[in-house]
Amino acid sequence: MTRLRIFLLRLWTLARSRQMEREIDDEIASHLAEATDEYVQQGLSPEEARRAARRSFGGVTQTKEVYRQVRSFMWLEDLGRDLRHALRTLRKSPAFTTAAAATLALAIGANTAMVSVLNAVLLRPLPYRSPEQLAMVWTENPTQNLREGRSALWDVEQWRSQSQSFAELATFDAVSRTLAGADGAEQIVGVSISPNLLSLLGIHPVQGRSFSTEEVEQRQRLVLISHRFWQTRFAGSHDALEASLVLDGLPARIIGILPPGFQVASLDADVWEAHTTRQSVRGGEMWFVVGRLQPAVTFEQAQAEMSAVARRLNDQLPATERNRGVGVVPLSLYTVGPQSRLALWLLGGAVFCVFLIAAANVTSLSLARSTARAREMAVRAALGASAGRIVRQLLTEGVLLAAVSGLIGILLAVVAIRLIRAFEPGNLPRLNEVSLDPGVLLWALGISLVAGILVGLAPATVRRDMRPSGEGGGRSVTGGASTRRIRRALVMAEFALAIVLLVGAGLMLRSWWNVKNIDPGFRPERVLMIELSTPTILQAGTPREASSVSAQRIDLYARVLEQIQAVPGVESAGIIGDLFIGNAREQVLSVEGDSGTVAQRLGFTTDEVSADFFKTVGTPLLSGRFFAIGEGPEAPRVAIINDAMARRAWAGRDPLGRRFKFGPPDSDEPWYTVVGAVGNMRLQGQEREALPQIFVPLTQNPPQSGDLLIRTSSDNPLAMAGALRAAVRRVEKHAPIYGVTPLEERLGSYIAQRRFQTSLLAGFSVVALLMAAVGIYGLIQYSVAMRTQEIGLRLAIGAHSGDIFRMIIGEGLTLCLSGLALGLVGAWWLGRAGSSLLSGVTATDPLTFMAVSLLLTAVATAACYFPARRAMKVDPIVALRVT
Amino acid sequence: MTPDKSDVLYGTLGLMVIKTLEAMGPLHGYRIARRIEQISGDQLALNQGTLYPALLKLQQVGWISSKWGTSESGRRVRIYALTRAGRKQLHEEEAQWQRAASIVERFLKISEDPS
Repeated sequence: MTRLRIFLLRLWTLARSRQMEREIDDEIASHLAEATDEYVQQGLSPEEARRAARRSFGGVTQTKEVYRQVRSFMWLEDLGRDLRHALRTLRKSPAFTTAAAATLALAIGANTAMVSVLNAVLLRPLPYRSPEQLAMVWTENPTQNLREGRSALWDVEQWRSQSQSFAELATFDAVSRTLAGADGAEQIVGVSISPNLLSLLGIHPVQGRSFSTEEVEQRQRLVLISHRFWQTRFAGSHDALEASLVLDGLPARIIGILPPGFQVASLDADVWEAHTTRQSVRGGEMWFVVGRLQPAVTFEQAQAEMSAVARRLNDQLPATERNRGVGVVPLSLYTVGPQSRLALWLLGGAVFCVFLIAAANVTSLSLARSTARAREMAVRAALGASAGRIVRQLLTEGVLLAAVSGLIGILLAVVAIRLIRAFEPGNLPRLNEVSLDPGVLLWALGISLVAGILVGLAPATVRRDMRPSGEGGGRSVTGGASTRRIRRALVMAEFALAIVLLVGAGLMLRSWWNVKNIDPGFRPERVLMIELSTPTILQAGTPREASSVSAQRIDLYARVLEQIQAVPGVESAGIIGDLFIGNAREQVLSVEGDSGTVAQRLGFTTDEVSADFFKTVGTPLLSGRFFAIGEGPEAPRVAIINDAMARRAWAGRDPLGRRFKFGPPDSDEPWYTVVGAVGNMRLQGQEREALPQIFVPLTQNPPQSGDLLIRTSSDNPLAMAGALRAAVRRVEKHAPIYGVTPLEERLGSYIAQRRFQTSLLAGFSVVALLMAAVGIYGLIQYSVAMRTQEIGLRLAIGAHSGDIFRMIIGEGLTLCLSGLALGLVGAWWLGRAGSSLLSGVTATDPLTFMAVSLLLTAVATAACYFPARRAMKVDPIVALRVT
Repeated sequence: MTPDKSDVLYGTLGLMVIKTLEAMGPLHGYRIARRIEQISGDQLALNQGTLYPALLKLQQVGWISSKWGTSESGRRVRIYALTRAGRKQLHEEEAQWQRAASIVERFLKISEDPS
């Protein structure tokens, strides 16, 4: 109570401090006058009386000072004074201030941007209700190394009825839909979800409602649309609800609008439709499964129970369906995988190192400056400033500098976040959630404060060296020795951190180079890829119409290829159902062998290709032949397999001429004969092994949509896009064309993430290197300036200028090499932690370590060269005259 | 400064001030200082200036109040008076001081008595 009262009183007096000051002056004046009167009455002369009154009062100034302290927040008034003084000091040396603030602002900005990414992608919980209870549930087949596989609805039904761990399980999958509009058809991304998915996630439409189970059972055509779709197509109008979209040729009614930015497991779609969840047998349909754990059930418990369920199911199933496991993975871990996590943490660490180097540099600068200001400090101390007072003054300067840098840094971070969003290749999940939230701002302020304290405190710690009695002597007030020691340590630390970053960047660069040069199994240069869909009328259809639809599609593809090949500059063209595949799907395959037919369950893909496909993409034929143009629907069924498939299903025996069929041996599927084997293609990016593939002729099994591949004679295939597009349009005006990309670029997108991470890390390490160079340059430059007389003396007594040069370079190199040694140990240790990000290079790759060490040493030598040159040119006469 | 004068014991100046104000009624700063010196028989080395921070502290905790008035000689002075809270506090402080003093006295007696 009393404390509060005192606090408020002080606050009050703070506001009217000028008046208070006047009042105490008056009071003391009256006091002295009264006392003087009394002494006069005692018989002293007025002059003596005045002096006696003063004497018995004591120091007037001291009284007022103590009075002020009692009166108010002394420190607050001091702070104001310190701030004004600090501003003046900083303004007085614009070079130092600009350099220091720019360095710190850049480092703080980069740090803040990176932390906001880390925060959004790794730290912030997923934007669902109780996200910690959510898990992805996968079908796995350990014997075939099949992880995180999708699941059949039949399985999900079994899991639901047999397990207690999950409160609910929901299924979803991405679908591609043709949206008919006024200006032609276009392809949009949709997600098909089980009706319980939204309630499981705890997501409510911002407008309208979600599906009811009845509606879904009745197979009503209803969709929810994304917020983005609502904004772009309906301009956020309420008319969107109950409006109809023509999807795949059939109308669907919009019943709700999802929240902005809503995604499921990184699937970002414009339309969300419901599918029924019932399925009586284990079919070929494969779904992503997400589950919500019962409260208080852990992921481990759920995993244990699901494994038991999987074993139980196994025993009830035919042999071909066995060996299935179930994997339970926290949704957060699936959304951002371990590799991305590790990469982000390492990048975060890297940018923090850059910050440390920046702080070290600015601290070193401020130390250099403190030596120059030693006399100012000495004078202040002599005039009665306490040590604490001077430290506070220095701290205020540091913190003020850092605060300004921090503010600029935050602005830079805003720009940097935009840049990251613009240049990130788009496969970092949750990037849309990146923002400067209060936590990130707190971090920015925190590191600014730390930097400020470092910058301010460092000169304060070496202040002990400075004697106020520095009797005007130039040399005695330098306090140089311990300042230099600290600055050397700082520069050494900078080099140690820089080498860690450089080694990391070097290893990542080599990995990237390795990955980039992995042979994908085809020649993507000069090939253009056009994703193409057949018109809507060739997509729907009852089974009775199927053969006619099929014939029309075959005809369409044939005519498209004919037109394309007629375009000048086209060397060859081919079509494949879907070139870049996701995961292999597990299917039963019956393979005819020497001793009867063996059914096995394998993970592979089946792709429909036109006759010239392999020739166009440049995949080599290993044995047998390619498809012939005439291999139509009536001809015997034939297939080409890739090398991986040959090894997997035929186990090294010559597959040519062998027969197989999809499904169990007694199924109605036709027999296929293997007529050729081709090389493997890495169609999931160069970093992943090729999947087993079976190719069947497009003319026997025409897909609804396909990838048109065109090998051109032009190094810039994209320049031909217009002509090629027109060629397709000539055949079929309504065929939706989407995605026209050079194949090289499309393949590159798989390593875009790696490239992005690598270039960020490389960028950070270059900045670190430059800062370290500036740091050592500054120190050596300073050291030369301090030692001018010594150097002059050395020259005067006969040292060669070459000796001086070597001495100065040696001083720099000693620092650089000590830092290097420290840093290499750190890099070696850190490399092992991040080794899973590397490809084709070990974490202790000697070449990288050597190259980076040489680079750093060269840069350090270059940075010391100029000060050393200057030292060489010291004129002994001039140097010795300066005292 | 004559060396045989005692310094004001830390923390006792406030007590002296409020006791003075209780005995004498409202006074201005100089009168308080003189009164304290007179009571101590001029045995106390009071730097009169130190009185003012003490007076301010006592006001802040609310034991005394002040207002501007005129002295006997017609000067504008700040006149301090004991508040109700100060009066209550004075009795507590007096009791506490007596307790403390008697303890110290007992100690001093022990060291005089060699038994």
